[in-house]
Amino acid sequence: MDDVASKIIGILKKNMKNPPETISLDTKLSDLEIESLDLAVIVFDIEDTFGIQIPYNANEEVQDFATVGSVVERVRSLIADKEAAGAAA
Amino acid sequence: MTGVNGRRRVVVTGQGVVSSIGTGVDSFWASMRRGACGIGPIRNFPLADLYITIASEVKDFDAREHCQSKPLLLADRYSQFAGAAAIEAMKQAGFDGPVKDGARAASIIGSGIGGFSTLEKAYEDLFIHKKKATHPLTLLRTIASSAAAHVSIEYGMKGPCFGTVSACSTAAHAIGLTYQMIRAGMVDLGVAGASEACITYGSLRAWQAMRVLSPDGCFPFAKRRNGTVLAEGAGILVLEELEHAKARGAKPLAELMGFGMTSDAADMVNPDIEGPTVAMQIALADAGLAPGNIDYINAHGTATTVNDINETRAIRRVFGDAAEKLSVSSTKSMHGHCLGAGGGVEAVACVKAIEEDYVPATVGFDEPGEGCDLDYTPNKGRSREVNYAMSNSFAFGGLNAVLVFGPPPA
Repeated sequence: MDDVASKIIGILKKNMKNPPETISLDTKLSDLEIESLDLAVIVFDIEDTFGIQIPYNANEEVQDFATVGSVVERVRSLIADKEAAGAAA
Repeated sequence: MTGVNGRRRVVVTGQGVVSSIGTGVDSFWASMRRGACGIGPIRNFPLADLYITIASEVKDFDAREHCQSKPLLLADRYSQFAGAAAIEAMKQAGFDGPVKDGARAASIIGSGIGGFSTLEKAYEDLFIHKKKATHPLTLLRTIASSAAAHVSIEYGMKGPCFGTVSACSTAAHAIGLTYQMIRAGMVDLGVAGASEACITYGSLRAWQAMRVLSPDGCFPFAKRRNGTVLAEGAGILVLEELEHAKARGAKPLAELMGFGMTSDAADMVNPDIEGPTVAMQIALADAGLAPGNIDYINAHGTATTVNDINETRAIRRVFGDAAEKLSVSSTKSMHGHCLGAGGGVEAVACVKAIEEDYVPATVGFDEPGEGCDLDYTPNKGRSREVNYAMSNSFAFGGLNAVLVFGPPPA
């Protein structure tokens, strides 16, 4: 597990009321029973940690947020976009 | 009861509105009958770092046109909206200046947050531009009781004067409390409602972070709904004890018959079903009406996933079989979510619905969302008899306030 993944799992655990012992890349977000306001805080924390912006809407079911692994993938691609934009500038 | 002949009755003798679909009740209602929508790209500030770039702004509001007094011209935009709406309402009620018996008059005008743009500007001056001082009126413009105070000064209202604060139920609480004060014999006249003007860069960033705003539009109860849309505006009623109104020769537009308020006491963001259900039941009982008497519900209908399903369920619980012949709509589809002012703007819509026997539409409706199975008056308003109308307001924190209006007493 790389740095991005372990940071994201750390953020999830920090912002949950009763985090399970282990959270893996396969863990489904729905299984974690994260409350909606906690999820908004988690997304904020991820954005803040990686300096990215995630256009997440609590009113929509988003495929990117199906599992912990898919969140990690999405964050990686947003980081890559940011770095590409920085390099271009 | 302090009334000589039992319960004192409360009537609406004036109303005023400021909204994205019209400033002034005539223009607002004409837009509503047309099914106009005031939501569009934000024009007031640069959109850097925002991915929500739409709102329902009040366009081309010139305070000098609506507020003649100097204190109001120096006030925050939120107080100016309240002033404009109050002046319109008082004019319709027959007041051009100070009321006769000021001690028996109340000014209860709330706001979800008050003079937010003033505070944001002051912080920008201090923290970014490193200015040595804030504008001397910063505090007075910001406090969320300033609109109530301004209006009390305009009209010499020397009785109860304060602002209510309950997020999106603010106006309904202000109107409900004023109604109770009049009914209890504390005052004979009151200006009641709320105002909101917080479409600022900082406020939008804060809302964006909550992840509840739609990037596309406000589509209550519809399948395509994906969040609410911020709006600004004000909605104000002049409430008056019936005999007091008659003695002045004022024409009642409607009767305010019932008020119910509850708290979910459960969650800051997720609305309950029980709390809204009981609030509607209390309001009906207070009005002495059965569910079958209500013709129209102006729903809270924010277009968030959870609100619209839960509100539908609560309405079904309260109305049972009578739900089948109910007309429901969320006029937020047209004027957006005016936050604290929502219940005031929507109370005006209810009074007009009774006056003109017309139910305004829920516009932008594609097809019913899952679990949304009432008659939401999709896309086109409808002429039908409207004797009794209910206005729902449910706020963050689970704060519920429901008003019931009826026809003007014969």
